[in-house]
Formats: sequence, C-alpha cells, structure tokens
Amino acid sequence: MPDAVTAEAVDIELAEQFVTKEQQRDVGTLGMWAWLVTELLLFAGLFLCALILRIQFPADVTLATTHLKFWIGATNTAVLICSSLTMSGAIVLSRLGWRRGMLGCMLATACLGTLFLVLKGYEYYQDYDENMMPFLARPYALGAHPSTRLFLDIYYVTTGLHGVHLITGVSILLVLTWQASRPRFLQMHQNRIEIYGLYWHFIDLIWIIVFPVLYVLNR
Amino acid sequence: MSVSGSPAEHALALWPPAASHAATHVDYLILAFTAVTLLLTVPIFLAITYFALVYRANRRVDRTHGSDRNVKLELSWMLIPFFLTLTFFAWGAQMFDTAKHPPANALRIEAIGRQWMWKFQHPGGQAEINDLHVPAGQPVLVNMISQDVIHSLYLPSFRVQMETLPGRYTQLWFTANLPGIYRLYCSEYCGTDHSVMDGQITVQSPRDYEHWLSQAGSSQSLAAGGKRLFANYGCTGCHGAAATVRAPMLAGLYGRPVPMEAGGTVTASDDYIRDKILNPDHNLIAGYKQVMPSFAGVIPEDELIQLIAYIKTMQEPGS
Amino acid sequence: MSPLDSLYRDPDTARITLDRPADYLHAEHTLRSWFFTTDHKRIALLYLASITGFFVLGAIAAGLVRLSLVVPNGVIFTNDTYNKLFTMHGVIMVWFFLIPSIPATFGNFLIPLMIGAKDLAFPRLNLLSWYVFMTGALFTMVVLIVGGVDTGWTFYAPFSTTYSNFYVIPALIGVIIVGFSSILTGLNFIVTIHKMRCPGMTWFRMPIFVWTLYATSLIFLLGTPVITLALILLVMERAFHIGVFDPKLGGDPVLFEHLFWFYSHPAVYIMVLPGMGVVTELVAAFSQKRVFGYRFVAYASIGLASITFFVWGHHMFVNGQSQLASTVFSFLSFAVAVPSAVKVYNWTATIHKGAIRLDTPMLYAMGYIGLFVLGGLTGLFLATLAVDAHLHDTYFVVAHFHYIMVGGTMLAFLGGLHYWWPKFTGRMYPEAWGRVGALLIFIGFNVTFFPQFILGYLGMPRRYHVYPPEFQLLNVLSSAGSTILALGYFFPMIYLVWSLWFGKRAPANPWQAKGLEWTTSSPPPAHNFLAIPRVDFEPYDYPIKAPERA
Repeated sequence: MPDAVTAEAVDIELAEQFVTKEQQRDVGTLGMWAWLVTELLLFAGLFLCALILRIQFPADVTLATTHLKFWIGATNTAVLICSSLTMSGAIVLSRLGWRRGMLGCMLATACLGTLFLVLKGYEYYQDYDENMMPFLARPYALGAHPSTRLFLDIYYVTTGLHGVHLITGVSILLVLTWQASRPRFLQMHQNRIEIYGLYWHFIDLIWIIVFPVLYVLNR
Repeated sequence: MSVSGSPAEHALALWPPAASHAATHVDYLILAFTAVTLLLTVPIFLAITYFALVYRANRRVDRTHGSDRNVKLELSWMLIPFFLTLTFFAWGAQMFDTAKHPPANALRIEAIGRQWMWKFQHPGGQAEINDLHVPAGQPVLVNMISQDVIHSLYLPSFRVQMETLPGRYTQLWFTANLPGIYRLYCSEYCGTDHSVMDGQITVQSPRDYEHWLSQAGSSQSLAAGGKRLFANYGCTGCHGAAATVRAPMLAGLYGRPVPMEAGGTVTASDDYIRDKILNPDHNLIAGYKQVMPSFAGVIPEDELIQLIAYIKTMQEPGS
Repeated sequence: MSPLDSLYRDPDTARITLDRPADYLHAEHTLRSWFFTTDHKRIALLYLASITGFFVLGAIAAGLVRLSLVVPNGVIFTNDTYNKLFTMHGVIMVWFFLIPSIPATFGNFLIPLMIGAKDLAFPRLNLLSWYVFMTGALFTMVVLIVGGVDTGWTFYAPFSTTYSNFYVIPALIGVIIVGFSSILTGLNFIVTIHKMRCPGMTWFRMPIFVWTLYATSLIFLLGTPVITLALILLVMERAFHIGVFDPKLGGDPVLFEHLFWFYSHPAVYIMVLPGMGVVTELVAAFSQKRVFGYRFVAYASIGLASITFFVWGHHMFVNGQSQLASTVFSFLSFAVAVPSAVKVYNWTATIHKGAIRLDTPMLYAMGYIGLFVLGGLTGLFLATLAVDAHLHDTYFVVAHFHYIMVGGTMLAFLGGLHYWWPKFTGRMYPEAWGRVGALLIFIGFNVTFFPQFILGYLGMPRRYHVYPPEFQLLNVLSSAGSTILALGYFFPMIYLVWSLWFGKRAPANPWQAKGLEWTTSSPPPAHNFLAIPRVDFEPYDYPIKAPERA
C-alpha cells in the first residue's frame, strides 16, 4: 500500500489562460464530456438504423444475428468491463500519488484493450471464413434480402468504428503511460489521467450498447 | 384539336398556367399566404424606416418609453403570427391529404426514370419517351420507379412533383382540366444531363386522347405483355392453374392482406409483389414452403411493371 | 472601488495609456508568431483571411454559373463543367465559408473579450482547429479545382456512391475533416462560456452574441457527428461497396436523406444564429438603447437551436415519406416561426425611440432584418405541404435560402466586420465608401435573387444547365444583378485592406458601445485586459433606457 515514502505530490500546473487551478480542472473535464457527447451522437445514428431495421424486418435481421459470434462478443464485453476496472484503479492511484501502481494499472488496461482487438480480429476472420461479408467480391452465404445485408453492413461499420476508437485509445494510453513514467508528471498533469479515464470508460460504454443492440436483441 | 401552342410562347408570363383544379387551389393558397405575409412584414419594414428617420441621433425628439421588456406584448407577437400561419399549415396539410389518396377510377400510367430519360406507358401498352399524353377530366395516376439514381417527376402546371426512387414505387396523381401542352421536368439532380431530362405533357380531350392511343401503336396491353412474360419466365409452372407444386395462387391477390409466417399480415401492394419476385426469401408466407428462386437482376423494371399489371387482372375463379 | 472598476462600468472615460503592453498585433512580428500562435485573436484573423479566400473562390464559381445561365441553351459551358461549377460554389460556400464564417472569426475573437476572459479554454486546440480546417478545406479545394465533383453539395446517394464519375471520395474526406474542426471549435466555445466568465458575468449579463454562439456550438457538437457518420458511410459504400444507401447493394437511398438533413437542417442555424447575434449587437449599439426583451431574445436562440433538430423531414415531403411524418414535420417547421418572430419584432422595438445613427454597420443590420424576414417567411411557404409539392427543388428554394444565407448571414457578417474592424485592427474604415458598398450589395442582392422567386414559381427546376427559353428574361435579370452584387463586394475588400495602412487610428470605443470588448484598447493587448474585469452592471447599459421600475 502507498505510504508516505512512495506517494508523490499530486497537482496540476496552472496554464496562463486560467485564473485558478480548480477552473482549469473543471475545464478539462467538461471539455472531455463535450467531446464524448459528440462521439455518442456519431454512434447513435448507427444504433438507430440497426434498431429500426430490427423492428421493420425482424425475420431478416434475426437471420443475420444468429450467425454473429455471441460468445466472442460476450467475452469481449467482459474484457472491456475489466479494463474499465483497471482504468478506475489507475485513476484512484494517481490521486494518491502512487505512480508505480498507476503505471501498472494503465499497462493492464492497454493489454486488455489489445486482447479485445485480437478477439475481434479473430471474430472477423471467422466471419470471413463463413462468407458473411456481403461487400467483398467473394461468395456471400447469408440471406439475399436487402435488410439482412444492410444489417450486416451496419454491423461491420459500427464494430469497425468502435475498433478504430479502441486502437486510438490504446495508442493514446501507451503514450500517456510513457509520459507518466517520467518524474514530476503527477505534480504537473495529474488531471490528464482523469480526463483520459473518461474517454476509456466511454469506449467501454459504446461496446456495452453495441453488444445488446447488434448481438443479443431478438436472437 | 383544341391544344394551344408550345409553352415557349409564354415568354413574358409571370404566373405559370394552372391546368388542374388542384393547381388553382395551390395558387389561392399561395396568394392568401402572401397576403398574410405582407400583413405581418410590411409594418416591420415601415416601422424600421420610420424610426430610423424620426429618431435619428441628432434630432431632438421625445425618447421616453415605458419599459424595455413587456412579456404580454412579446408573447402576443410571438403567438399571433404563429396561429395565423397555422391556418396555412392546416390548409396545406388538407390538400396534401387529398394528394396522397388517388381516386380509385384513376387512369394509371407507369413511369420509369433513368439517366437521362423518362419512359411512360399507358395501360394499353402505348409507350412514350419524355412526352406524356393524358385525357382531360379524368384522374391520372402516375406510378413510377427509377432504374438508377433518384429522379423526380415534376409537373409545374399541376403543381405536383414526386421523387422517383430506385427500388421502390412512388405515386402522384392529378386531374387535368385544361387541354394544352405543358412542361414536365426531372427536378432532382441526377447527373450530367439532368437539365435535359425534361419533356412535354399534352392534355387532350378524352376523344382526342382515344384517337392518340389508337395512333400511338401498341401490339399488346401491359397486362397482356405481363401474361406472356408470366409464361416465359416459367411462373405458370408453379403459380398456374395446372401446377403440381403447391405455390400461393395469385388470383385476386392484389390489394388483399397476406398472412405471414412470422405472424401478422402484409397487404399485397405493387411494392409487395415486386419485392416478392425479386426477394422471395423475404416475408415468408404462412403455410407455404419457400422454394421460389430469386429474380433479382433477371427481370428488368419495365417487365416487372407488366407482370404486376397482369397479376392485378387475375380474378378469383367464380368472382 | 479601484479606478479600473469604474473603467469597466463606463468605457467612455479616458483610457489609461501609460505602461500599456504592446497590442496583440504588435506583440511579435515573426511569421512563426502567427502560424504557431495560441492567441484567440490572432487565430481569428487567420480564419478571417482563409475564409475570405474561400469566399472569393466560391463567388467566382457563382459568377460563372450566372454567366452560363444568361443563355438558355447552355452553350457557354459543357454540362459536366456546369455541374462541377455549382457543386464547387455550394461546397465552398456552405462548408468552407458560411459554417465557419461568424463563429470562427468573430466568435473566436470576441467571446473571451465579451465575457472577460484571457483566452478560450483550450488555446492550443483552437489553433489545431484552424489547421484541421485548412487541411480539409485545401484538400477538397484542390480536388474541386483539379478534378471536379458533380454531386452538388448535398451528395445524394446513390448518385454520389455509384453513378458519379468524378472525385467524390477525396472531396468527402476533406469535408469530413472540416467537420472535426467545427466540432472542436464548438467544444471550445461551450467550455469557455461555461467556465471562463469573469466575476459578475452571469448568464443573463452575457451579450446576445455570446448566447447565439452558445446555441450554435450546441449544434456543432450534436449535429456534426451525424453528418460525419453519413459521409463516412458514403465513402464506405463508394470505396468498398458496403451497401447502405444504394438499393442495388441492399441499401436505402432515403436513409441518406434522413442522415444528411438531420445535420444539414440544423447547419442552417449554424449559419443563421450567429448572424442574429451580430445584428442584436449592432441594433443596440446604433440605437444607443437596451435590447428590448433581452431574456426572450436569449431564450429564442436556445429555442431555435432545439427546434431545429426536429424539422429535418421538411426536406423530404416529396420522397414518399409517410403522410403522418410529413404532417408532423410541417407543423414543427411552422413552430420555428415563433422564436424567429420574437427576434425580429424585438429588434424593431429596440430601434423604437432610440438615438439612431445610420453608419455602415447599422445599414447592414437593417438590410439584414428586411431580407431575413423575407427569407424566413418564404421558408414557411416551403414548409406548407401542398405548396412544397410545387416548389420543391425549384429556383424558389434557391432564392429562399440565398435570402437567408446571403441576405441574412452575409450581411450580418459584413455588418459585424465593419462594427468590430476598429477593434480587430485599430483602424477606422472610410465611412462614406462603406455606405456606398452596403447600398450596392443590398441592391445587387435583390436584383439577383428576387427574380428567382418568380422563376421558381413558374416551375424552373434548380441545377438546370439548359432551361426552357421562356425563362431567359428573368435569368438575364438575375445575372445582371449578380454583377452589381460582385461590384458591391469589391468595395469592402478594397477599402478595408486600404484602411490597414491608411485608416484613421481607432479609439477604444468608436461607437460609444457597451460591452466588455469596448473597455479594452483597440487593438487589445495580448491577454485582452490589463486586469480581470469585474461586472456589476446589466448588459446593454446604454444611456437611453426605461425609467427604473419601482
């Protein structure tokens, strides 16, 4: 456990446009929330399309969903929830000023994120193997009806977009870990860990919407 | 022939010809709306000009005024114009309702839009490219579909237009009451030659129209063509009276509710029949095994129209 | 009370001129100090210079379109060239001029000054937004000029995804990139307005201009991601045949219309709302009178930004949308008239019994009110179901939105530019030339676009390169008007640049206007104020006011 010897001072450095540090902290957090609202809207259109398709053409969509790899999706959900847990750990430890523990948690988060991507890649490979990708110039095995195809297309676009976010997230996290490994980081930029944490939880949240909307409903 | 000359002769017209009662009605609506608009705006223009002259900074005038807010006044100029204009919302919505419900006795024209031409077909099978002849005094329903991008059939003299979508039928209708030659356009931008995807619509007296039909030349009606295609594509093998495969009978199908395997019913509309021919796997019918092959990419749009026209004419035996 | 406090209360008192730090223009002189600046004022000027450049290119394209339409048989340009020209005009004007115009220039410059902050909340993000904007815009610009795109600025599928033979994908990528710049700007403004206000600057002491930009930023944040998604899906479909919109690939073309207009209708208010804010400032300053019904005008901005997300279906009355949906969208579109009416009538009431000076900015503001009213009410015509069935996709629509975009936004932009020019540059523009320019633009604009209302009612469809000969007279009239309009635009471009070197030095507050931006020197110092202001007075604290209520 952190003791007086290992704990570092925790603070932020006041940027010139602010009057108080409290204002600076609030600004950072609000800025990230605003960004997340905009991201949510980016995905919302896709979720809405998927839901409308399900309501309009339940049978055709069920045909597609039964071929999605439910267990890989479920495992990935668990993986991401675990990664949110480790990220929360990193935030708590950063507040306490326990740098080594925080770095460990951040690396664990990045590893879990990578594990998710690997599993997702394997899932895409299986789909490819089962001829489930209607947009490729190769045989396509699932129902010919437009709404089945449309649903699958939306599935690939949504999970692909989420994957891009995750790749970005892991890259930023690794850079941040590297930065945070240097001395005095926590004295100058502790709030970056908290702000980044919001983003990571958000990627997680998107997947927690993706999973029921695309994999589970009327299965 | 009581047909006036080319539309290009009306070079200085500031008002388009109205060739149907609905068009005249739209004109009334727009004129009334303009009058109300002027009522609401001219006072603003006059007031601004007047204030700007009277209250110039260098003039000595009384500038005392009551208050710089007045909730009642503000609410009134917020809500009174709103309720006034709502009249026109209701008026427009009511006319739109009429436009969405074509009369049952309408003459049905089939239209296909493609880059960059219109093809119109009369029930008797007479086909026209870019030009359309219709009788006066009878409701005309244009049922249309696009082969490629979105087009829009626009008939300004009847004050109507409707987008022509790929993969789905859309409709518009009108009753012409004034014989003459009017313009028709594609109004949705559709590529290189969008601006020459236009033509003329000729409104004729019913007698002239009959005469034109007989001159236009057609070997067979749409339904007769459909019957031939029905046999050529092998539909009769399963859907015919002597078929051995158990397939749904099509007689009397059109406009009836069809029970679905997934529960509920779907009304057998044009779109339903087209979809069923192209994607038989979709919307499985209760009580039948799906064995029909898909005709997507096999039957072109104009033949689909003929097939549907034929299926519509199939009567239930004994009825 | 310190002497500074009284300065903020009454900006007309003599300025403290001793020991003043160098103003932001003269603080540093290197090229680097401009291109790597984080000063919101310098970034605003970077935007001003770049959008002026884009405006000129868009205007040239418009001029060529009008030139082509002088003859009905379309012999001046080939059909594809014409289609590329109007696409170029639309894409540049909408995405690279109108959307960033007032927010990214005036908003960037003035929000911190108006709320008493040293800078925006994220100065480096602000610079990044400009670079993102320039990357996307220049990229698309090169594509538009070198290869050309013929889809129109609306990029309707499946034409854009399957049938167009030109460079749709690169153009779309540029527009998507520019969208990120909008999002970042909106995010920056929202956080700044929430967290950076100086002591005493409550929400209801903020100028209306800040309110309208807050509303605009909400639209940036909530609407832009949806268009980003729609355009990404277009790219996916065109590049990888992931069918979402083309029925041949299993898609639905109407879905694109929904996604597109869900953003692009609110985008109209991205262009309109800041203009309303500018005009409110101008009307109050040149009447020397408090804004009538300040709270209602502020609420109306937020009201417009909210309603605008629920009216997108009025672009789709004639595409087979269900009758119920169309009727509901028509009704909601009429509701937009409520907050708009408040604004217009309250401006009129503000002018009433003011001490009015008809300087150039006020001329633009008065022109704005007239033209915006006309544009707005013809919008109601189009929201009427049965009327739209006739006027949809005709020149009536073209005239309607040019009355809003040029008659509205552009005039507000020019009015604001003249009003704040002394603050931006420290120089006065020549007043007489300004008035002549304003008059020419007003006349030229009306001659150009009023005939198009008639053309539309006569049934001339938009985006027509070859048109029936009976429409030639009105088209020639419209083209003639556009030359007057172009001449009008030359005036401010020339004398404003001239004034940079030869204009009279501007005092801190040449218009005797109220508001924190006028309490600091012209041009302001690097961090805006010598000390953080403290506000204990109401907004628009002008001398002509109603007697205090008991």
